[in-house]
Amino acid sequence: MTKNENNEHISTSMALDDEQRVRILSPGMLVAKRFLRNRLAVIGLLIIVVMFIFSFVGGVISPYGEAQVFKIYDSIEKDFAGAAINNEFQYINAPEESFPAMAKAESILAINKGEDRFVSQDVVYSLIKEGNDFYRIVQYQDVASVISLKGINRFTPVEGETISKEMETAYAKALDTNEKSFDLDGTTYYIINNGKNSSIALAKEISMASKMMFSAYTPDIDLSYDFRFAAEKAMNDQTQTFEVNGITYNMDLDIEDNSAVFYMIDGDEKIEYALASNISINAVNNAFLSIDFKEAIVHAIENGDTSFTMPDNNGVEVEYKINRKNNQFTIRTLTETELINTYAAPSKKHPLGTDGNGMDIITRLMYGGRVSLVIGFVVVIIETIIGVILGGLAGYFGGWVDNLIMRIVDIVYCIPSMPLYIILGSVMEFLSIDPKIRIFILMIILAILGWPGIARMVRGQILSLREQDFMTATEALGISVSRRIFRHLVPNVIPQLTVIGTMNLGGIILTEATLSFLGLGVKYPYASWGNIINAINDTYIMKMYWFVWIPAGLLILFTVLGFNFVGDGLRDAFDPKMKR
Amino acid sequence: MRKFVIKRLAISVVILFFVAVIIYTIMRCMPSSFVENMAREKASLPGGKSYNEWLAQLNKSYGLDKGIIAGFLQWLGQALKGNFGDSWEFNIPVTEKFMEVIWDSFVLGAISFILEIAIAIPLGIAAARKQYSKSDYAISVFALIGISLPSFFFASVLKYVFAIKLEWFELFGMIGRHYEQLSTFGKFLDRASHLVLPIITLVIVNIGSLMRYTRTNMLEVLNSDYIRTARAKGLSEKRVINYHAFRNTLIPIVTIIGGSLPALFSGAMITETLFQIEGIGYTSYQAMTTGDIPFSMFYLIFMAMLILLGNFIADILYAVVDPRVRVN
Repeated sequence: MTKNENNEHISTSMALDDEQRVRILSPGMLVAKRFLRNRLAVIGLLIIVVMFIFSFVGGVISPYGEAQVFKIYDSIEKDFAGAAINNEFQYINAPEESFPAMAKAESILAINKGEDRFVSQDVVYSLIKEGNDFYRIVQYQDVASVISLKGINRFTPVEGETISKEMETAYAKALDTNEKSFDLDGTTYYIINNGKNSSIALAKEISMASKMMFSAYTPDIDLSYDFRFAAEKAMNDQTQTFEVNGITYNMDLDIEDNSAVFYMIDGDEKIEYALASNISINAVNNAFLSIDFKEAIVHAIENGDTSFTMPDNNGVEVEYKINRKNNQFTIRTLTETELINTYAAPSKKHPLGTDGNGMDIITRLMYGGRVSLVIGFVVVIIETIIGVILGGLAGYFGGWVDNLIMRIVDIVYCIPSMPLYIILGSVMEFLSIDPKIRIFILMIILAILGWPGIARMVRGQILSLREQDFMTATEALGISVSRRIFRHLVPNVIPQLTVIGTMNLGGIILTEATLSFLGLGVKYPYASWGNIINAINDTYIMKMYWFVWIPAGLLILFTVLGFNFVGDGLRDAFDPKMKR
Repeated sequence: MRKFVIKRLAISVVILFFVAVIIYTIMRCMPSSFVENMAREKASLPGGKSYNEWLAQLNKSYGLDKGIIAGFLQWLGQALKGNFGDSWEFNIPVTEKFMEVIWDSFVLGAISFILEIAIAIPLGIAAARKQYSKSDYAISVFALIGISLPSFFFASVLKYVFAIKLEWFELFGMIGRHYEQLSTFGKFLDRASHLVLPIITLVIVNIGSLMRYTRTNMLEVLNSDYIRTARAKGLSEKRVINYHAFRNTLIPIVTIIGGSLPALFSGAMITETLFQIEGIGYTSYQAMTTGDIPFSMFYLIFMAMLILLGNFIADILYAVVDPRVRVN
């Protein structure tokens, strides 16, 4: 540029149209001066600079990442345990025995009818009532059949069995006292009456049915069949102490609650062993619930309470609420839960709040700006290259080359761009193409449909330029064709290219934003101003969370406006003929 | 003149042919699984045919089982007879669906177009009369804001302010909940009130270019010698502007307005979609996003025709106004 200050003494006026001044300024400088005099253009330039700083520097400065999800901790009432009053028989099978489901159904029928035997799949089972809602299911194995005639019993042992004198006496004794069983040498024999014929049988334990639920005190206690049987029997008989397999247990019965706590007696120590009640309790997350806790639940349910408190592991009292639904009870409590911080209102930590994915909106806006601006520039550069080459060739050569290229321009011009973007976007959506590749494809499609305008303009300019004297001069000098086009013609089109490029930038950013808004452009996890606004497809979000979409929309508006202001200013600056 | 018109028409038809080839090729390059998916969806509808039947039928009726060229010729042959096939999305012939929705789009487009002209031309002239005045800046900025506004954002802001906050209009749809109970006049008012926000959106978003075009042309006219002569004759400024200048500005404006007349039928895809106006824009948006090839194909060709027709009208009008064009 010419040194303005050296010639300062000549200039008498600072006015732009001062003749002296105009003479000494280079054309580029003149354009710059004219551009800067245009207030709107300067505002536009400022907006663009601010947007660039916001997007490219802001993203670096921002303490958060583009797709960083923010979480918060909150206490929400969650299901802690479920309880149900058990009205169904629970079957506990004897060791190494199985009791099929069919037989279970038959057994319930038999219990309801008051029968003491039932047949299921050709197997005969017998029910022995041991207490209230407490049955043993056994299979009898005959030891001997007895025929009683006039007070005389004739015993016929089953093959392989023998009948001792003691057994006969015990049988007679049992018959006299009208009992159904008798004990002999620690074995219980059962008397089955079948009219005049009776039989003595051994019972083989298959299963037991009861409505009581047992829970062990610690997770490693395995409640054995024998224990359960003895414990339930003790509950029915209300005996304080009983013995199973050589271990003594103590029972603490609560008749009101219909529950009992069992202690294992180990020398002088009483160790809490198990709890029985007709309420079944299960933790929601398979955790082990302590007996105390279960007892508290049973107690609360029996009392009809809606809440109770229990100290937790750290000794802090926690309140539990009980919701009843028929025979089902849900025990709820406030639980500390990690939540994604969605649609958080603007705060110091998040100046514009967070979006539906719990991401910081202002950070998303910064990264979105990068994507929008980069797409805009890349597309403009590609379409300018295509447009200048094709337009230049058409304008310079004329004739059939011109005709061919211009018809191609006409054809591409006629392809409806927005519908095509939408179709291709839907196809990419359907193929679930990687979001990163989508951005590249989007840029290429935008450029391929965008170049005809530039090509037309370049051709028009070159058509008039090539008739000018300087072109005749280049021809006379024998400069090569490519050099003539790209060194002498194209540089003369640069002002118009700059204007059209700047204007197109705004348009491309708008198109990209629209496509992303429709969900067919830039996709999550990449941010774009358009896809941030996409959230308002849910009217509720539009209504409640202005901070999610208004800032993004304003950023698009201002950026496009900035480019349009600058483009306008550049046009006026390059072409001062329009000024009076 | 006749020769010129015929030449232009012939060129338009050739261009349309190539555009159709390109569009058809793009449609054909869609992954075939897209069609398979459509067939699967169709087959899952109650009372439909089986998947294989659908697939075979879809492929056959759209020539998808042939090569691109043969398929295109088949499509072209049918299209020339006015048969564009059945829409996959709407299950009725494409042209029938088109006739069903086009008039709503036209009404929407026509009202906003008239409003645009009524606002843009006076404002553009006012801006040109006082170049670099405050009002000129204000009008220029207004026009540029309109151009720069993303229509989806502006529509959302309107909905937010007028439908949610003030509750003056409904959020979307074309008729209200109690439409059937209303009197004839009430029905008209109901429909009209549903069109207010979409029309505002369209007018504001589209007004900028016409306004700037008017301003630029008016400035050009005001700089010309005959205006200087008129002023030198001592005519009043009012007469200079309204009589001498305005008439000359009208020439390019009428040309551009004539050229944009066909666009009244193209529908406003984004605005219609956002306000759920059952016009051609919203319908085709649904068709395109669901992969309804017959309807999309028809819509794209229709749009191309509108663009060509617009250019054609503009060229003819230009030739009518400027005899020099006819010679070349």
